[in-house]
Amino acid sequence: MKTKQEPRPAGRGIRQSMSDLHTWTGLLLGWILYAMFLTGTVAYFKDELSQWMRPELPHQVQVPDRAVVAQRIADELGTLASGSPQWGMRLPDARNNSVQAFWRTSSTPGQRGFGEANLDPSTGRKVTSRDTLGGDFFYRFHFQFHYMPAVWGRWIAGVAAMFMLVAIVSGVITHKKIFADFFTFRWGKGQRSWLDAHNALSVFGLPFHAMITYTGLVTLMALYMPWGEQAAFKTQAERQQLTAELSAFIQPGRATGEKVPLASVEDMVWQAQERWGRDNVGRVTITHPGDAAARVAVARGEAGRVSMSPQYMEFEGATGRLLGIREGVGPAAETRGVLYALHLGRFSDTVTRWLYVLVSLSGTAMVGTGLVMWTVKRRQKLPDPDRPYVGFRVVERLNVASIAGLSVAMTAFLWANRLLPQTLAERASWEVHMFFIVWALALVHAVLRPPRKAWVEQLWTATALLTLLPVLNAVTTQRSLWHSLAEGDWVFVGMDLMCWALAVLHAVLAMRTARHRPELQSVRRPDRQPASGVALREGEA
Amino acid sequence: MNHLLPFVLSLAGFTALALAMDRQQRDVIGRSLPRSVTRALRIAGTCALLLALGVLVAWQGWGLGLVIFSGHTSLAAGVVHGSLIGYARKYARSTKHR
Repeated sequence: MKTKQEPRPAGRGIRQSMSDLHTWTGLLLGWILYAMFLTGTVAYFKDELSQWMRPELPHQVQVPDRAVVAQRIADELGTLASGSPQWGMRLPDARNNSVQAFWRTSSTPGQRGFGEANLDPSTGRKVTSRDTLGGDFFYRFHFQFHYMPAVWGRWIAGVAAMFMLVAIVSGVITHKKIFADFFTFRWGKGQRSWLDAHNALSVFGLPFHAMITYTGLVTLMALYMPWGEQAAFKTQAERQQLTAELSAFIQPGRATGEKVPLASVEDMVWQAQERWGRDNVGRVTITHPGDAAARVAVARGEAGRVSMSPQYMEFEGATGRLLGIREGVGPAAETRGVLYALHLGRFSDTVTRWLYVLVSLSGTAMVGTGLVMWTVKRRQKLPDPDRPYVGFRVVERLNVASIAGLSVAMTAFLWANRLLPQTLAERASWEVHMFFIVWALALVHAVLRPPRKAWVEQLWTATALLTLLPVLNAVTTQRSLWHSLAEGDWVFVGMDLMCWALAVLHAVLAMRTARHRPELQSVRRPDRQPASGVALREGEA
Repeated sequence: MNHLLPFVLSLAGFTALALAMDRQQRDVIGRSLPRSVTRALRIAGTCALLLALGVLVAWQGWGLGLVIFSGHTSLAAGVVHGSLIGYARKYARSTKHR
């Protein structure tokens, strides 16, 4: 811990340099980071969101026996994807009321065509629900964005995450009294309050913020830093072995051409349940189904273990004989597996998932307060507050659109899910288009309106959309709040209540922003200049 | 509920640690506490946090235990901080009216 008595080095000093670094790394990609943080936070509930966005799928009272479901889906895939060299299915669990199945459509190796479908666990048939990406949209958006090749998006996300990491480290160095000021908050002191709020949000969640940024980079490390891997693994066989080490995705070998029906998948899943527990079986992958060379991998679920390293049992498809059990990987792969798992948090029970969400929201607010603080600090130094310089205006407007506007756009996405006609072609894409159209409108609005009015109006818009979403849901579906309460359907109940909680949050922010003006004017008075100058120096962070 | 005990312990721990700080003592109690009391608060707070960690590790093992501990402590620190702000505002308002 650094103390105040530390002699100040000559010149600008490390703290001042770090402060500048923190300010500019934080600002430059801050808007992207804010969007990544907020959509990523929401993605912790992506399965619940997907359930809400497919209201035709009935509330799952009890998770069906996965062994039975696996057999049913395998039978269905026999007709749906016959001739495919590989099938995969994610079995239903407490958070998923449908089976996500995928299959390779091309048997030529090297070519990668995939088909996918949502299947009903009780019938095996394709789920008849509205066409939507569900919560997966936010999940995918938070690391690869949209309207661009996934690889570009991932690179942008990687650069942003690297900036975030720099901002975190430089922020810790800048904040000289990280422990002495741990519980300090100076209310109603303008810029100091912003600084204290930013510090509080950063410091309490610091372990999480550092972890989530670093592990985020680790999830895509093979993309960002492929050279070690390229140097170490030269042949196709070695590459395949690496893939096997990192995922439960067994590679299809060569088919024999001899037709042998698949042995009982139910029995194989049952064996896995015996080993890992009835509710702890995740994915089933089948290669060359119906061929003598068929293989079945039954993977362990993610609950209760802080590692994404693959654990699976491999069976011979034709006979159902257990070929091997894989329950461990090398130390390097395991390190990656643990860091990966920490980022995704899929091992969480409900309470732990809420902890993830709340601390992640504080991270979102940290980025948001940081962005706003950039303008708060500089507004006091403006020669003419009514005509700020171009850079200031750009930041101010982008802040409105990327913070308040994102809330509006994300809620609009959910509105589109309820309002777009079911028969619309490319319906799922249109939901996404609506999100971006509304977000773009928010930017236009932020540019055209005076900044403070833009803040207030967009925050009130978000409040209204959030407040009315449960009403819209009650009107357009059979699953109103009272119905969900009677059914004990906590996903739908939770969604309605969360909308209202977030509506309250936005209303409070809107009212506070609306009331803010008098304080600002008093700060601008010329006789206060020296005092605020002193405060500025102290508050540099 | 298995999460309740570690959360309450984290909350108690951070409350004690906050009250062991000079600025918070002045804000909440109105004066600085004797050094011995401050030290006792600091020890009690640390022990409560360690106990919370112990409970979680015993229940979920080191991996999950540490993750959940981090979540509970982050949230508890935030709640304590929020309460201190609320208390300070209320206190400031009532002294103003007096």
